[in-house]
Amino acid sequence: LARVCRVPAEQSPALCVLADSREICSGPAVISCLRAVHGLRVQVCSLGTSDYVVSSRLAVDRLFQSELLSPGSRSKLSQRLQRLQGLFERICVIVETDRVRPGETARIPQRTQYYAGVLSALVQAGIRILFSSCQEETAALLKDLALGEHRKDAAIQVPTEPEGHRRDILSFYLSIPTLSYGAALNLCHSFGSVAAVANSSVPALAAGARLSRAQAEELHRFLHHDFDLQLLPQPLPAKGK
Amino acid sequence: PVTAGSVVVPYGHVIGNEKWRGSEVAQRLQGKVRLIFEDGLGLVDFHLSNRTCILLISEADLVAGDEFKRRLVRFRNASSLTGIVIVEKTQISDQYYLGVQKLVVLELGMVLLPVANQGEASQLIIQLVSSCIILKYGIKDRCANPFLRQQRAQPAEPAVLRTVQQIPGVGKTKALLLLQQFGSIHQLCNASINELEQAVGQTVAQQIYTF
Repeated sequence: LARVCRVPAEQSPALCVLADSREICSGPAVISCLRAVHGLRVQVCSLGTSDYVVSSRLAVDRLFQSELLSPGSRSKLSQRLQRLQGLFERICVIVETDRVRPGETARIPQRTQYYAGVLSALVQAGIRILFSSCQEETAALLKDLALGEHRKDAAIQVPTEPEGHRRDILSFYLSIPTLSYGAALNLCHSFGSVAAVANSSVPALAAGARLSRAQAEELHRFLHHDFDLQLLPQPLPAKGK
Repeated sequence: PVTAGSVVVPYGHVIGNEKWRGSEVAQRLQGKVRLIFEDGLGLVDFHLSNRTCILLISEADLVAGDEFKRRLVRFRNASSLTGIVIVEKTQISDQYYLGVQKLVVLELGMVLLPVANQGEASQLIIQLVSSCIILKYGIKDRCANPFLRQQRAQPAEPAVLRTVQQIPGVGKTKALLLLQQFGSIHQLCNASINELEQAVGQTVAQQIYTF
């Protein structure tokens, strides 16, 4: 699937969307629809945090309605979204109607008070919510979001497939806990070397990696953090082992 | 008439537009929240707080045509309040939903929540009111909302160690050695090749330096 619909990638102004590799299993129609119908460039990579990254500041998570309806998945969901809030300025969730298995009739989900509570908590947290009834609709929504972000000049415009030495550098940036995949790509692209990043001022980091001021400050602090062996959580094996 | 100014909503109250008196939503809200009806709310159906209000779009509005769209756009242009649009999404009005969503969420930047009937709408309003109260009066503050990020200070040491291990040729032991010697990633990046060689072997020093 990843190699089949490569044609739209040739048009250089095509919008780029990053998709998490898990989405190949859980949302194959979303990805192929984005490529084939909407002509977007979809780069599959292991994002780890969100399902899609639409611009340098907007992450999109695809959820099933059943996940919002069941209290059991609440802690998982809140952990996930809290993590995203640390990495991205804007978050959007697309709530997709669950697929009906063959032989099963579509059940109209029982909306509970719990569900209403989750929705209002999401609204209060400033997370955008979109509803979709199938994977094709989800793809169309993702395209609309990417277009909107492109109009606001926040689209992903750097090459998304670094090669050789740059791949090592990318994984170095990715291991920094406060950086999203998009920000790491931007860093890779706008700075010549790791040393250049380490010696940059906060405003230069913010401009180069397209981070907010607070995020750039956090990155700067991380790079200048004085390492203290005593603060490591577990005692490490003695040297020479 | 467009009323753009905010309405003062007393604690735990909801101010409803006169036109909803006696409706199913109003009946279900009564008893759960204190509902006050007022004339002349203009475009808004319910005020939840001084800043948040609700515009309710019924199934009939959706089917009848574009009148409700004009109302939403007028609201958006006239008012600085946070508008939450609740729309009745039923089997009949389902086909219009995508268009409405595109307008409300993507173009107007407002919140849109679908409900199946007026009963659900009232349930949602009750939840929204209670979370408004929590936010405003700071009961349990941010902890009450599971989706707001809580700032927690975490030692950066494990993360710094993990990052240094991403340099080719550096494992856990060498990463520790390097960090003890140079203190931070910043200083490690500015270390000369001689300094690196003193900490680790010649080959690895070269690798780190070129990285």
